Amino acid sequence: MDWTALGLSLRLGLATVAILLPLAFLLARWLAYGRFKGRGFVEALVALPLILPPTVIGFYLLTAFGQQSPLGQFFQSLLGRPLAFSFEGLVLASVLVNLPFAVQPMQNALAAIPGNLRDAARCCGLAPLSVVRRIEFPLALPGIATAAVLTFAHTLGEFGVVLMVGGSIPGETRTIAIAIYDRVQAFDDRSAGVMALVLLVLSLVALGITNTLARRMARHD
Amino acid sequence: MSHRSRLLTRLASITRRVAVVAAVIGTGLVIATSRTLAATPGADSSAPLVAAASDLKFALDEILERFHADTGIAARIAYGSSGTFARQIMRGAPYEVFLSADEQFVHELHAQGLTRGTGELYAIGRLALFAPTGSPLEPDPRMDDLARRVASGHLGRFAIANPEHAPYGRAAEQALRSRGLWSALRPRLVLGENVAQAAQFASGGDTEGGLIAYSLALSPELRRRGTFALIPDSMHAPLRQRMVLLQGATPAAERLYEYLRSPPSREILERYGFVLPAE
Amino acid sequence: MTETPNVRAALLVRLRQSAPIPLDVEFAVPSGSITALFGPSGSGKTTVLRSIAGLYAPLEAEVVSAGERWTDSAAGYSLPTHRRRVGFVFQDYALFPHLTVREQIGLALGNRPAGARQARIDELLALARLDGLADRKPATLSGGQQQRVALARALARDPAVLLLDEPFASVDWALRDALRHELRSLQRALSLSVVIVTHDFEDVVKLATDLVMIDGGAVVAAGTVEALTASAALPGLAGHWEPAVALDAVVAAHDSRRQLTHLRARDLQLSVPTIEAPVAAVVRIRIAAREVILASQRPEGLSLHNVIQARVLRVEPASHPALRLVHLAVGDTPLLSLVTADAVQSLKLAADAPVLALVKAVSVEAFA
Repeated sequence: MDWTALGLSLRLGLATVAILLPLAFLLARWLAYGRFKGRGFVEALVALPLILPPTVIGFYLLTAFGQQSPLGQFFQSLLGRPLAFSFEGLVLASVLVNLPFAVQPMQNALAAIPGNLRDAARCCGLAPLSVVRRIEFPLALPGIATAAVLTFAHTLGEFGVVLMVGGSIPGETRTIAIAIYDRVQAFDDRSAGVMALVLLVLSLVALGITNTLARRMARHD
Repeated sequence: MSHRSRLLTRLASITRRVAVVAAVIGTGLVIATSRTLAATPGADSSAPLVAAASDLKFALDEILERFHADTGIAARIAYGSSGTFARQIMRGAPYEVFLSADEQFVHELHAQGLTRGTGELYAIGRLALFAPTGSPLEPDPRMDDLARRVASGHLGRFAIANPEHAPYGRAAEQALRSRGLWSALRPRLVLGENVAQAAQFASGGDTEGGLIAYSLALSPELRRRGTFALIPDSMHAPLRQRMVLLQGATPAAERLYEYLRSPPSREILERYGFVLPAE
Repeated sequence: MTETPNVRAALLVRLRQSAPIPLDVEFAVPSGSITALFGPSGSGKTTVLRSIAGLYAPLEAEVVSAGERWTDSAAGYSLPTHRRRVGFVFQDYALFPHLTVREQIGLALGNRPAGARQARIDELLALARLDGLADRKPATLSGGQQQRVALARALARDPAVLLLDEPFASVDWALRDALRHELRSLQRALSLSVVIVTHDFEDVVKLATDLVMIDGGAVVAAGTVEALTASAALPGLAGHWEPAVALDAVVAAHDSRRQLTHLRARDLQLSVPTIEAPVAAVVRIRIAAREVILASQRPEGLSLHNVIQARVLRVEPASHPALRLVHLAVGDTPLLSLVTADAVQSLKLAADAPVLALVKAVSVEAFA
């Protein structure tokens, strides 16, 4: 059992959720309520990581913040080392790759709120930000929770992009999913099996939490 | 409420909300960068980072265990294809010691100023023909049985490392070519990302066998799973395996590097078939 | 009792646009009135209501509430909805599913010190007859209870104008009269100005004081309910509406021995079977034209209680070629009578001719 790798994966999951969720909420809201041309195009962009092979994403990410890129160089000057092969690089990649997992459940939840409710809130004297805080956010909470759990669970299992962008540097970018791969290559099926089981249990727990949360919140209504 | 004070109240409440959102994102960023904040440059300066060709798997594990016992320093090791490592190092991967299965990669890195000196030869690698238990293939140094099976048209899958970036893959291709088997065997090949993965495929039971590193064939793991034959080094270009200290190596990495050259290490390496021309 | 309209209108509305929803309306909502926006489905009445609230912005719009400018498209000005003192009861109530009744009302009260807030919530709960339901969530309430919550929530805004969108559409018709009565009582008690969107003319006859008829996004008729029903000039309703006058009448006295109630609608005095309303209460009455018999002389030996001296204003054709609609005036109070053309001839009915109008007590519908 590679505890470092597990810890790395958990921290990657948490960091991704913390950074992605507020941004995805804004994007989800814009898509759910905004009426603008090109909305379909934005939705398609958001959904891209769902269908693109992780290697394609990894390739473009490496190009975007490899050492030759402006972003990569900026980061290098900031932290004294490249964005690729670093934990921070993984977080950035993870945030981008998990966009659809975060945006889509929240977008659906927000869109499911009857338009009348938001109008009624305004008629009750709630300023637009209050409408978001007191009506949209609580009613979309099951979707938000789902987004958080899905993002976290998906990050735990993310392999292709992490491998391409981060390599398999122990203690830095060797997440538990990669550690499993590594153990299998090392003919260490026992360790691989233990870690795979841990991941499986974590995923089941994550899904169980989502379902319970969703049901409990539905009963709310 | 006056217009101005109303404006200020609105400003205050918006600021409050933005602050909450920023706090959440900030927490995420802190978690994300905690490794950098904790220490520089690239985490534990007392745990040297080593990139090693995957044929060194069992040998180097043993060496590092002894190193840890002797010095208390726990190295972090990544095994993989030499070519892949070389490319990653060129892109800034923070490895400190690189043990390549082909010295050409070390020379390339040196030419780019990424190494301290040109390093040194630590072994000449050898190829082994491996067949798992129960396979119809019989390993022999000249690969005669393999040739027979190819000719009969009954051959199943055959594993080698990817010749594009794995030195052992390239050597395997050379050996097969010199025996005249390359074009016939090509459609049946299963390519491992590195030679350890090729050994996996070769020993797994889904292939009839493969060409893998001699050092891996010698390991207890593989001995249990089948039989092998050592391929004459005349059949392929020599696998000159070179190790080097990289720029940015910490003192602990330097100690490790020296340890790798020392007699205890050499003894372990030899046991796994890693011999130097002199020996 | 002549009703003096309050000179300053509760609402002045002027909306104009050609697309996507065609609109061309201009009307005023008198202060203290219940103004019905009446029209068929798709006529644009809900759009008008939403424009008043600021939920929709037509290209050309002007909305002024009691002198306060809410929308002025020419000046590029539009007061945001949440700053308009408007109460809106949506057709499907639009209650917030995650809040209790108390919390819904509290939300609409805005910022207030805690003590005063709770007191006000309790007041509104009592007003809307929601006592005991304060801690329930909308899903556990009946349709009628939900509507009352929506109403209480709208009233919590202390609105300059109360807007209701088809409030009785999803209610069993057996309950509608009771609900109309409740709304009327509330409106009178709080002196509210109300705008109610409806496609049910019963709401107009039994509840509204003023009427704006809308079709295809345009105003086709506007005025008091009394005047419009009396004129029978109700475009689009021809054939679907029984000619009748709708008037407000005061309960003058009860005769318990004869089980009659005496009503007075300005110059018109009527006796009806006893109704449940205290003396001096105002009730809405409807007298269908077909229930009014005309006579040239007072009849004897009939079961009639209402023999009314009236004057003919004019005679008009009616839905059936053999019928005529006779417009009468009792003093300044209107009355309608539907008779055959034959009867018009034999009674020699013409403008300014005096005539007696006979109305059965039973024929006068009264709505408290």
